[in-house]
Amino acid sequence: MENIFEKINITNLQDAIGDWTAFSACEPYEVDLDGEEQIITTCCRACIANCGVKAHVKNGRVIKLEGNPDDPMSQGKLCSKGLSGIAALYHPNRNKYPLIRVGERGSGKWRRISWDQAMDVIGNKLMQVRKDYGAETVFCTTGGGGNPAIWSISRFANIFGTPNWFEPGCAQCYLPRVSACNMIYGGQDTSIADSKAKDLYDADNCPTKTLVLWGTDPSNSCTASGGRMVNELRARGTKTVVIDPRFTPDAAKADVWLPIRPGTDVALMLCWMNYIIENKKYDAEFVLKWTNLPYLVDLDTKYCLRAKDADGNEKTGPDGFMVFDKKTNSIQELSYPWDDSLDVDIFGEYEIDGKLYKTAGQILKERVAEFTLERTGEICCLEPERIKKALDLYLAEKPSAICLGVATDQTPNSFQAAHAADMIDMLVGNIEKPGTSLQNFPTSAVLHGATNPVPMAPTKLPPEQLPKRLGGVEHKGLGMWHAGQPAAVLDAILTGKPYKPRVWIDRSGNKMAVLGDGNKWEKAIHELDFIIHMYMYPTSFSAYADVLLPITEWLETNLIVEICNTLVARQRVAHVWETKDETVVWSNMAKKCAQLGHEGCQKAFDAEYMGSDLPYWEDETELFDTVLKPINMNWEEFTKAGYYEFMPKDEWKTYDTYMQTGNDGKLKGFNTPSKKLELYCDRLITLARTGKPYLPFPMPPASKDYDPLPYYMEPFEGPVNDVETTKEYPLTMTNGRVPFFHHSTLRNIPRLREMYPVPEIWINTDKAAELGIESGKWVWVESKRGKVRAKAVATENIGPNTVWMERFWFPETLNTETHGWKESNVSVLAKSEGPYNDILGTYTLRAYQVKVYNADSAPEGIWTEPADFKKWLPGGKF
Amino acid sequence: MKQFAIVIDLDRCIGCRAGCQVACKMENDIGLGKSRSVLHTITYGKYPDQHMYYIPVMCQQCEDPACVNVCPTGACYKSDEDGVVYIDKEACIGCQSCRKACPYDAENFNKELRVMDKCIICSHLREKDEKPACVSLCPGNAIYFGDVNDPESEVSKLLAANEGHVYSLNNDAGTNPSGRFILRKDEWIDPFKK
Repeated sequence: MENIFEKINITNLQDAIGDWTAFSACEPYEVDLDGEEQIITTCCRACIANCGVKAHVKNGRVIKLEGNPDDPMSQGKLCSKGLSGIAALYHPNRNKYPLIRVGERGSGKWRRISWDQAMDVIGNKLMQVRKDYGAETVFCTTGGGGNPAIWSISRFANIFGTPNWFEPGCAQCYLPRVSACNMIYGGQDTSIADSKAKDLYDADNCPTKTLVLWGTDPSNSCTASGGRMVNELRARGTKTVVIDPRFTPDAAKADVWLPIRPGTDVALMLCWMNYIIENKKYDAEFVLKWTNLPYLVDLDTKYCLRAKDADGNEKTGPDGFMVFDKKTNSIQELSYPWDDSLDVDIFGEYEIDGKLYKTAGQILKERVAEFTLERTGEICCLEPERIKKALDLYLAEKPSAICLGVATDQTPNSFQAAHAADMIDMLVGNIEKPGTSLQNFPTSAVLHGATNPVPMAPTKLPPEQLPKRLGGVEHKGLGMWHAGQPAAVLDAILTGKPYKPRVWIDRSGNKMAVLGDGNKWEKAIHELDFIIHMYMYPTSFSAYADVLLPITEWLETNLIVEICNTLVARQRVAHVWETKDETVVWSNMAKKCAQLGHEGCQKAFDAEYMGSDLPYWEDETELFDTVLKPINMNWEEFTKAGYYEFMPKDEWKTYDTYMQTGNDGKLKGFNTPSKKLELYCDRLITLARTGKPYLPFPMPPASKDYDPLPYYMEPFEGPVNDVETTKEYPLTMTNGRVPFFHHSTLRNIPRLREMYPVPEIWINTDKAAELGIESGKWVWVESKRGKVRAKAVATENIGPNTVWMERFWFPETLNTETHGWKESNVSVLAKSEGPYNDILGTYTLRAYQVKVYNADSAPEGIWTEPADFKKWLPGGKF
Repeated sequence: MKQFAIVIDLDRCIGCRAGCQVACKMENDIGLGKSRSVLHTITYGKYPDQHMYYIPVMCQQCEDPACVNVCPTGACYKSDEDGVVYIDKEACIGCQSCRKACPYDAENFNKELRVMDKCIICSHLREKDEKPACVSLCPGNAIYFGDVNDPESEVSKLLAANEGHVYSLNNDAGTNPSGRFILRKDEWIDPFKK
């Protein structure tokens, strides 16, 4: 490896070489000494919710956090993660200054440098690598907890000219649900943890009869917002079904709990559809007129049959789909939205001129037919009667709602699960009605995708770079977020094929704690030339970095946030050390590259050239001033107001949007090309072959077409598909949240760690007895890929063949050989190899095989007693 | 006489510890390893038909508090004004007799100050007409407080509306705890009844 540090001339610096704690003697530098206690309205970002916060500030120091009762989602509540904001802000081990590595990688020896010097080092390295190997050999990542500037990463990648950025949140978490919903519906997904299913938050006016929490545990994952909301609905009589291998707090309060075998959710979803179709529980009128199930499908091409226009070309848009009219016994062209003179069935097959056609509904019916209650019970390890009980509750009275969580995003069947879950609600007409989770409420149009003010600028990626996206040809669904596939990046580093990535710029909680198969990633890391890590505090990943950049905590951060019908200011209530807002750091990197001659980066500061992608900014408030123009405010005015209601609540809660009349005098329909719900999504075939609608120009086809309907994929490493592995590793692993942490965050917060000092592994009481395992004792948990230790909990709250464990790392062993991530990190056991999800490239983070056996001792050097965490207490009251 | 107490709707408790522990500890400066409340997890039944619920237990503001009876200095006393059991930290000698006498493990010893510490239903906040930290922060909206002797109070009305589903902790010690728990969905299992 090239020694980049020889070229750097560091002068006039405090000669502080040592570990991260060397700088803890300094004091916060912005101190207002007038002594008045101020209460500043802001919102939290300890997870991906944005709960309203009232921060009490005195003498420049945050001394108390309260919930903001005006926030419609959290209604004055905060969870233990949010309450930890002060401890996180004033943590003695914050990243305080830019640091550059001066010892061997992993030795923990650093030297303080200025931001200007850091940008010099980074800019020169990026430009050199771009010149020597191509811009695509730089890759950027984010994730790991509430990343506020998510689109900043994609934007920088596009402008710098690399097609490779990823976050686990693409393929492994949330994108499956976003993209499936986008393809078949065009409205918002149902993820509670991602602040969707917004209609459910107005509990007093929410008529939901049955809420299905599928692979989601809001009480744990988003306690103050979604957890609170579900609790309020339960208190008002909403019945709940919880589908989760683990007996979560929400499962304990459910009317029916389905402890499903991990990784088999799609089988259960197909079973629900089969039951609904067989028992005619679908909303026949709605399905006929507002889904594409009655449309005829050409069984050869698998596309819906389309009428031809005068020039002989297939029609596009909502008109020209073909249906079979029973009155005339013939195929007829359907005019959008519907033709009442036709007599059409949802299910049917018809032979016309010697060729067999089926309706899309018929293909679905045949697809799901094998998933009877009995057969599905066998696949999912559930009693058929129990499945039926859940279904009957869901179907008893409308409206009902399914909210799908992250569980299914973490297996290779990810996209199909999201597709199928939405289909169930759509079949029974649980969509855009008061109390349903599928809604299309208006957004402010100020933020991009209602999430972030930073434009992603996808068209600024040079066209010749797009085909170089790692995993991008095979898994074109990633194109929705213009991202690459983590596993393909890993592979490319290790094999050099199709080319070798060389520089990694990361903004994440702890990549070593969350990426599947950490041991393999560690090998890959040693192959890299240069690693930049920006975060609020050092994590295991920092140990491998060459430059560390100190990033603002949420209490130091400015951002425009959309919550229901309001825009809210997350505003800086304090600022310590030399931390910078990452929205600015990415801009600073682009600026340095521009100065060093990067044409794309130079143009990125030109307002005219950037157009709606907006020019880069010196300061995030400069961007916000521009973004806020539609509401006639600048950032300063906006922060003084604290929030802006872009639409009155009653107007914002718009139901049946597809029944509104559009400008053309016709019903608006849904936001798909056919204006119908495309349950049979033949556009997925087009996506596989070209990248449309996500990529700006056609790409080579994937190795196989994507299936227009969901299909079940048995877990690859599991008791059915891999009997040999299961003999040695008999237990199936699942994960899921505890209420104290978000992803890999907050393991350094004393008041959280004292409650949950070490990771537990839950093992069924009888199974534990069989294996001679006792509660409270340390055990080894081993998969084919590695082994880690955890504390055993023998419990009835997990099935006999399943174990539950959550991701963990130990900040206290950061400066040891393990760097804190090797002791007890469940991700070490997970898979980075295929098979992957065809559309998104998802790998296996849950539903693989492990064995559990007694360990002699706890991992060395970890902290387990409350008093141990004293070293992480900030001075003074917090 | 007024009797302020904490009333908890257990059907609403989701076991997150945000209000009853984290918010409480931040508001009242409680040190590591100490807490004014303990979360008991109650489980019964076999997989997959088991039950689980949580019982947060803080001081039960007993009518006949054992802690007051055993205190050698009178530091631990029951207020005539609100029925809450307080500790006069000037008078407390840190003998921990009260901790040993309390049948609900609701007293903490503050090692640094060598005095006892317990839930006083955030009297400093009540003085300002604010709610106790656990009450205002509890994400489940499970925790209520008020005068259980006043039939017009919010908590009395809540208890009346849940008649037949109201429980108190084990009274074998004869302390007559004032705290109340509402539980409709599960079977009451007293964590202090052996």
